[in-house]
Amino acid sequence: MEIRLSSVLLAAALLSGCGWFHRGDKGPTQIVAEESAGEPSIIEPQVNRRAVKTPKIKAKDFELGGYFGALSIQDFGTNPIYGVRAAYHVSEDIFLEGFLARSKAGTTSLEDVFPDITVLNDSGRRFTYYDLDVGYNVLPGEIFFGRGRAFNSALYVTVGMGDVKFADKDQFALNFGIGERLLITDWLAMHLDVRDHVFETDLTGRTKNVHNLEATLGLTVFY
Amino acid sequence: MRRLLALLLLLQTFDAGLVHAKRQLLEVVVSAPFLEMHSGPGRGFPVVYVVGRDEIVTVLYSRTEWYKVRAAHGQEGWARRADLALTRLASGEPAPIPPYPQFATHRWEIGAGYGVFNHQNLVTSWADFGLTDSLDVEFVLQQALGTIDNRYVASLGLRHTFIPEWKWFSPTAGIGGAYQYIDDKVPPKPLQSSNQMVYVSLGLRGFISRRFMWRADWRKYVVFTNQNQNQEPQEWKFGLAVFF
Repeated sequence: MEIRLSSVLLAAALLSGCGWFHRGDKGPTQIVAEESAGEPSIIEPQVNRRAVKTPKIKAKDFELGGYFGALSIQDFGTNPIYGVRAAYHVSEDIFLEGFLARSKAGTTSLEDVFPDITVLNDSGRRFTYYDLDVGYNVLPGEIFFGRGRAFNSALYVTVGMGDVKFADKDQFALNFGIGERLLITDWLAMHLDVRDHVFETDLTGRTKNVHNLEATLGLTVFY
Repeated sequence: MRRLLALLLLLQTFDAGLVHAKRQLLEVVVSAPFLEMHSGPGRGFPVVYVVGRDEIVTVLYSRTEWYKVRAAHGQEGWARRADLALTRLASGEPAPIPPYPQFATHRWEIGAGYGVFNHQNLVTSWADFGLTDSLDVEFVLQQALGTIDNRYVASLGLRHTFIPEWKWFSPTAGIGGAYQYIDDKVPPKPLQSSNQMVYVSLGLRGFISRRFMWRADWRKYVVFTNQNQNQEPQEWKFGLAVFF
């Protein structure tokens, strides 16, 4: 009996729940065309009103892509680096950009001369960074390729900060860069960048600021 | 690199395919004496084509304050927002060129900046949603890089802007909860590698231009530890943000 009662209650609750879900729906409302009180109209207008929807304009302010190049890690030689980048263009002059990249350090001169000495273990040689930058298009313009082709381009400077993980330690790093963006089409861009990552380290015995310059070639797509 | 290129091209064709499949493009009628089309989305790019009054142009997409448009005979170029805002729809209504979001009433905000957390360098990033003009929910993700440890701090809180209609300079105050994870650099290990925290904050915000703004914040945290005394680190930071 108790079970039956509870199942009846449950059914009631479910039904009321269904009712709640449908309470937003309005029943069919009848639209009655009002006729003028005088003579009846001869032609019944049967015009379906078209809902005109204005298309939205897509904003393509985001830039997403990857890059590849060479990173010179101070005291550890020059090595390949690859990464991804994303930018948001705030105005025709200013953009905000983020980078994520990794490389692997080579050997120091000391290690080359004395092969028995190892300054860093294998995981310590991994060099990864992220950066948050603000950029400014200093020299926008066009680059001519032959007589009949011109590509839009911009020379820009960036400044930012982030984290460099090297020798298994995270360090706060500043970065300064200069780059050239060449738009192959309006949605595809090629980048040439030179950037310096500066951070403080005591890896080689004394505390000093190290400069790690990178030169990269990248490709990005505007979204 | 080749794989990356292939991926990018694939993404773009996918994107373009979708756009063509679903998206109808906006068509507007030039109602000013003429509409200038530049070769690029910037003030210095030369005018390459001029569309006359009563001619139709198709708006393809926008980039910052510029719109890529196509004239009736297929010529493409970039028109300035202010110029395109003078056009009309075929029905005669003004073209729906969206204005810049109002700073005082904006809803979303994304930003990043630099700061100092307990004498450590701090990289901060945040996302903000406005419940009302003066009350925001803020989510902050930051990394404090010190000589002894490296810590990650995530926080969620409420922030009140006292006078949101003050454009250049408006004070704020907030409270919230946070969580920190400490990754030690130099032994010995910290007594606790993660803590819950609460904070109070005082700050300032201001408009820069278009959809660009700045924010400065001071925070005092209370770190709950399993020792007799709680820690009370302070933090200040400055950042730039984009609002929508």
